[in-house]
Amino acid sequence: MRNVSLSLDAGRFYVLRGDNGAGKSTLLRMIAGLNEPTEGRILVFGQNHKDARSLMGYMAHASLLYEDFSAMENLRFFSRLYSIDSDALLEAAIRRVGLDPRLDRHVGQYSQGMRQRLSLARAIFHGPSLLLLDEPFSNVDPDSATEIVQLLAGMRNEGKTILLVTHQAGILSDIADEFLVMSRGELVSRSTPQQVHA
Amino acid sequence: MSLSITRLASVNLRKDLRLEWRSKDVLNSMLFFCLLVVVIFSFAFDLTVEETRRIAGGLVWTAFLFSTVMALNQSWARELRNGVLDAFRVSPAPAEALFLGKCIGNFLLVLLLECLMAPLFVIFYNLTSVGPVWQLIIVFLLGTWALVVNGTFFAAMSIRTRNRELMLPLLLLPVSIPAVASMVLATAEVLTGESSPLLQIKFLAVYCVVFTTACFLLFDTVLNAE
Amino acid sequence: MKSKLFYLWSLITVALLAYAVYEAAFVAPMEATMFDAQRIFYYHVPAAATAFSLFIINCIASIIYLAKRSAWADALAVTGAEVGVVFCAVVLTTGPIWARYAWGTFWVWDARLTTTLLLWLLYISYLILRRSSEASSTSVLAASLAIIASLDIPIVYMSNRWFRTNHPQPVIFTDRLDPKMGLILMWNIFAFMALGILIAWFRYDLERLAQSINTAHIRRAARGSFAVILPGMLLWQTSAHWPPIRYFHAGAADAWIIYIGYIVLLMVKYSRLKKEAAELRT
Repeated sequence: MRNVSLSLDAGRFYVLRGDNGAGKSTLLRMIAGLNEPTEGRILVFGQNHKDARSLMGYMAHASLLYEDFSAMENLRFFSRLYSIDSDALLEAAIRRVGLDPRLDRHVGQYSQGMRQRLSLARAIFHGPSLLLLDEPFSNVDPDSATEIVQLLAGMRNEGKTILLVTHQAGILSDIADEFLVMSRGELVSRSTPQQVHA
Repeated sequence: MSLSITRLASVNLRKDLRLEWRSKDVLNSMLFFCLLVVVIFSFAFDLTVEETRRIAGGLVWTAFLFSTVMALNQSWARELRNGVLDAFRVSPAPAEALFLGKCIGNFLLVLLLECLMAPLFVIFYNLTSVGPVWQLIIVFLLGTWALVVNGTFFAAMSIRTRNRELMLPLLLLPVSIPAVASMVLATAEVLTGESSPLLQIKFLAVYCVVFTTACFLLFDTVLNAE
Repeated sequence: MKSKLFYLWSLITVALLAYAVYEAAFVAPMEATMFDAQRIFYYHVPAAATAFSLFIINCIASIIYLAKRSAWADALAVTGAEVGVVFCAVVLTTGPIWARYAWGTFWVWDARLTTTLLLWLLYISYLILRRSSEASSTSVLAASLAIIASLDIPIVYMSNRWFRTNHPQPVIFTDRLDPKMGLILMWNIFAFMALGILIAWFRYDLERLAQSINTAHIRRAARGSFAVILPGMLLWQTSAHWPPIRYFHAGAADAWIIYIGYIVLLMVKYSRLKKEAAELRT
């Protein structure tokens, strides 16, 4: 990554695009606190990003789930890490992504699409104000992808900020507020859909 | 509910125990490994009862050391599958809670192994203790904790290395040498009844305190060393 | 190329070494019980003093690195560790040569020797960790290991003091050290410490250069270092019945093979790095 400096406004839907190796995932990981920048600071809603962890939700290529647990068991564990004690909240999150919270099957037996959805549920159950999503549509069929897009649009309308990395920017052209493009570790351009279409 | 370290540690511990109970990967291989080690050692060393009491300390702790290393190598494997460790790091939960939970989980696992191996040693070597057994138990508890706390720490370090399984014993063994020397000596002292292991026990206690504190303080740094 | 100060220091070092080695070999009085073999002492003790100083530097540099994350601290840490391992190897090879003559055995488990061996092992594991870990995490992990290792040293020393009382405790230093020997020992300590500083300086520059071109090659420098110890180990094939002076020669040769071998290794690495840096700039 080289000299990336940017500021994003709250409540908007940002899509981050670029070639492989451009540094998109790295940028997301840095904001989430997983990678350390060699210089510079990262502020989330005015605080150091390491202090704002409960305000962020992160979803990666990997599912970040335990294979031997069911959906609820997984979420129950993660909820403890966020000091959340309510099953109802978890069930709501699971339903919101289109899965059944009463399903006792272990995640190991899920299809890729189901895993992706549960992974998203894990990122949103604690009601974060900033969502960092890395390729949420990569293993998902087109209909499910549309559902997820609608879900995310809904969250943006609720006032949440979304920063999403994807190679399939097309499906987001109606929903996204801004497109950011990275190449070789640098931020190359920012544009709105209107500008893109024009 | 607060984010207190002990409560979170117990959450981690229960999760680990439950997951292990479901898959039993580590447990099964460990049990078989114990048996193999004891059998091999009994072929390698053919001793009188008196001689055995003297070196039993070394035999037993070498066997435990091998088993501990094998168990520890697995300790972080579950968190690395599917990148779950990242989910933990992204959450507001403090890293020390994860460390404490893992240490206790590994401690219980290794203790279980020792309880299973000890009777095998007694049988194969006709081992009986001249000194009081409660002293032996203290030595085992302290010694095991010393190995496990350093082992869990170095296993976490090894995550970011190329030869993960090899790195762990390479890092753990040199640092643990004083503790192992102490455990072996103490065990021999209790078994032969020749002298009091009190000095060793005090030493092991100091060792445990020093390294538990150091590993605790450095764990966050090591976990986020990226 | 290198700064004027470095060349000046090299000259000072060579002068000191020449003087000290000459004194040790020819001027120092013959020791009553061990004759000429005792002269190995003049290689063994300075190497130990230098090695321990370098390990302390590593410890301090590691702490500074964890606090400030400065690249120079990291470079200093790896320098202290690697050069320390080299000097410690001299200690661990000259010692047994001397012991073979003095006591007939190569090794005893007394507090000092065991601590030295353990230090050596710990720092080798440090170097291996540096080599095997992911580039982005190497410095932090190594610094953490250095701190844990440093905690172990006093513990090992104490443990050995207390636990090995059954074994014979041979006296390495007699209290009645002839003052003339003491003086020559001091000169040798200065001389070998100067050598240590010189080599460390070189190694530090190497590391900074490697940092600047962000290369992984430098981590493989450690690989060659192990090879340097092997010739030293061949000299252990000493029988217990040679004339004393031969032990001294064996010890001296062993020490010089290790020092010079390591310096040559560093020079080779340095020229390779310089070439790469030049290529990158074009």
